[in-house]
Amino acid sequence: MRAPTGIPELDAMLHGGLMRGDVTLVVGSAGTGKTTLALQYLVNGATKFNENGLYITFEHMPSQIYRDSANFGWDIKKLEAEGKLRVVCTSPPVLVQFVEQRNPIDAIIEEINAKRIVIDSISHLEAFIPTSELRGELYRLINHLKMKELTSVFTAESHEVFGDRLVVTGVGLSFLVDCIILLRMVEIQSSLKKALTILKIRGSDHDKQLREFEITSSGIKASSPFEKYEQVLTGAPRRAIPVERLKEW
Amino acid sequence: MNETGLRQLSEKLIGTEIKAELLRLFHMNPGILDTIDSIARRIGRMPNDVETEIVTLLDLGVLRKERFGKLDVLSLNTRKDKEVQEKLAALIEGGVKE
Repeated sequence: MRAPTGIPELDAMLHGGLMRGDVTLVVGSAGTGKTTLALQYLVNGATKFNENGLYITFEHMPSQIYRDSANFGWDIKKLEAEGKLRVVCTSPPVLVQFVEQRNPIDAIIEEINAKRIVIDSISHLEAFIPTSELRGELYRLINHLKMKELTSVFTAESHEVFGDRLVVTGVGLSFLVDCIILLRMVEIQSSLKKALTILKIRGSDHDKQLREFEITSSGIKASSPFEKYEQVLTGAPRRAIPVERLKEW
Repeated sequence: MNETGLRQLSEKLIGTEIKAELLRLFHMNPGILDTIDSIARRIGRMPNDVETEIVTLLDLGVLRKERFGKLDVLSLNTRKDKEVQEKLAALIEGGVKE
């Protein structure tokens, strides 16, 4: 039923992992770790859970992915040589074509028997598909991936680094996907920290806390919830007043 | 023969700066599956400037082109690319021996 990400704290928050066959949206502003999380999901799938994966990138060149992954100790080229993972660099019109008829991407999914797929990032589709058609095309893409029984992760850029607004797309992508993981920058005592939370999982309970996470030399590592703070999602949290203090009032 | 063959093959393979850029792009990023427009953008060139060079690489078999719907999608033909590289290496070796 579940496809573990292999990030223990995140899997605990997800009550075991992503729901198999679902589409998960990882949303965050630049530098929050969307690509790292997505790659970690694929690398762990290939190395720990015997689930091969396909990584589709529009903007990052594969050579950059190989280099950055090596910093986390992930040998993507080796996994590619073993037929466990494939990095495909393409553009949105080709991806949309992929939905319309059989093409090389379908062939790769079959060739490596992929069970996991990452599309990094879905926000690029907005630049190539007219807004009036975007929701329909995203719906078609999601259903195509579900028919292939892939457990999918889409990354999406949010432009707001801080603030109390969060816009993923103007076409309601958040309603089309099954799960949303939000990564957010927060400022605490003049330091930038990263927060992670799960906004929704269709058909499953999940941890509702906001947790601090770090990008370490071995990938993403989540830690404790921001218990002493409130309004963390605004990016400018304030210290929460302890219950004991409130009772004194 | 070896020297002529080497010159012809190397000219076909390299010849121009753009062709060298394309080869470098595909060798470093063998997972590219893309249109001419996007490939041109990835090396910072205009589509018209790369078209002729791509035709040469298609003729050599180093790249392959497949039509999907309205799009021509290009990718590296890894098997043929390896063959061409081995041929080039053999020719260089032969040339050196002479």
